[in-house]
Amino acid sequence: MKTDSPALFVMTTILLTLTIAQPARLSAESTAQWTVQVSKVDPGAVGLSPSFQVAIYENLLQELSKTKRFKWVLRDGDQKAANATDLLLLKTAVERYTAGSETQRAVTTVTGATKLTVHTQLSTPDGKIILERTVHGNVRFMGSNLRATYNLARNIAKTIKKSSLPEPTSSVVTKAMNSTSSDGVVVVESP
Amino acid sequence: MTHTAVPWYCKSSDRLLKRRSLTAFLILVMACGTGVFAEDVSQPNNPPSSLPATHLLGFVGARNSSKGTLSIEGDALQFKKNGKAAVQVRIASIHDLLLGDLSRQVGGVPVTLAKAAVPYSGGRAVSLFTHKKYDTLTLEYVDAEGGLHGAIFELTKGQAEGLRNHLLAKGAQVSNAGNEPTKQTAEASSENR
Repeated sequence: MKTDSPALFVMTTILLTLTIAQPARLSAESTAQWTVQVSKVDPGAVGLSPSFQVAIYENLLQELSKTKRFKWVLRDGDQKAANATDLLLLKTAVERYTAGSETQRAVTTVTGATKLTVHTQLSTPDGKIILERTVHGNVRFMGSNLRATYNLARNIAKTIKKSSLPEPTSSVVTKAMNSTSSDGVVVVESP
Repeated sequence: MTHTAVPWYCKSSDRLLKRRSLTAFLILVMACGTGVFAEDVSQPNNPPSSLPATHLLGFVGARNSSKGTLSIEGDALQFKKNGKAAVQVRIASIHDLLLGDLSRQVGGVPVTLAKAAVPYSGGRAVSLFTHKKYDTLTLEYVDAEGGLHGAIFELTKGQAEGLRNHLLAKGAQVSNAGNEPTKQTAEASSENR
């Protein structure tokens, strides 16, 4: 009976720690989420087909929602953006486009790839750039040409998911408020 | 007995010639009339009841790559999948309509497997004959909250332009100058920079 008690104690401690830590972590995640508004894709001067432009935009909305990195994923022109706090704007401009051919891919395997290169920028409404990347999306073997837009959107979403975004201003303020209320002392640093 | 110098065939030939030219003229008038009426049929006054279409992506409420029928019901563009409830958008909310075309391999998985089964990579040659050209209709519209949506439909070759004209007649807008259809191909051989 005595031999079991230390193990039981350790187990209980671990369980208690996990139970207490879990809600705190969740609340931190929920407060630290941005809202993103996806702007219409800038086709540039590369002769991009309108269907590709629309497909990139729609796929981006879907893939960004899947990342669960953002509180809301808003469309271009959505009125909800006016009231949203912690808003980020996602702008995408096509830099390079190689129109491929599904038939050519099926016949030769090595030629006929559809390639897309875009410059994507995540910024605040006042113009401060948070993230800037060049992302590629290709379809080389199987699939239709529009599949390149899906691959591109997935790559952009992956890039954003991997990158570390700064904490939204509202969550910083909330944290500061919490720390001041718990400490009871306000420290003002002069520049 | 003096015979006139007029040959035996002259009088009858003249009449025949006149008759023939009259008949030819009538045929020409009828042909032109038929052409004009045929053109009238393709005008937006007689909208198509429904067109078979594949929804590629973007139309709210419809699954991607789903087949169904695209139709104009009152002041709305409707997409209905067989056995499913129809989804629609108001034509007035359409901000842009763009035409394009694409070439796709047909047959799906069975044909792909069959091609793979042909020895000495012979299936690749089959790919030359198993592709089909389609029209695409890309539309941009806004929802009730002002959010921009884009949708792409794939239609049988030659049908997209008629539908576009019907939508324009019903109040859809186009952003590019003029009402000339902008047909862009999704498949080209040159590299664009």
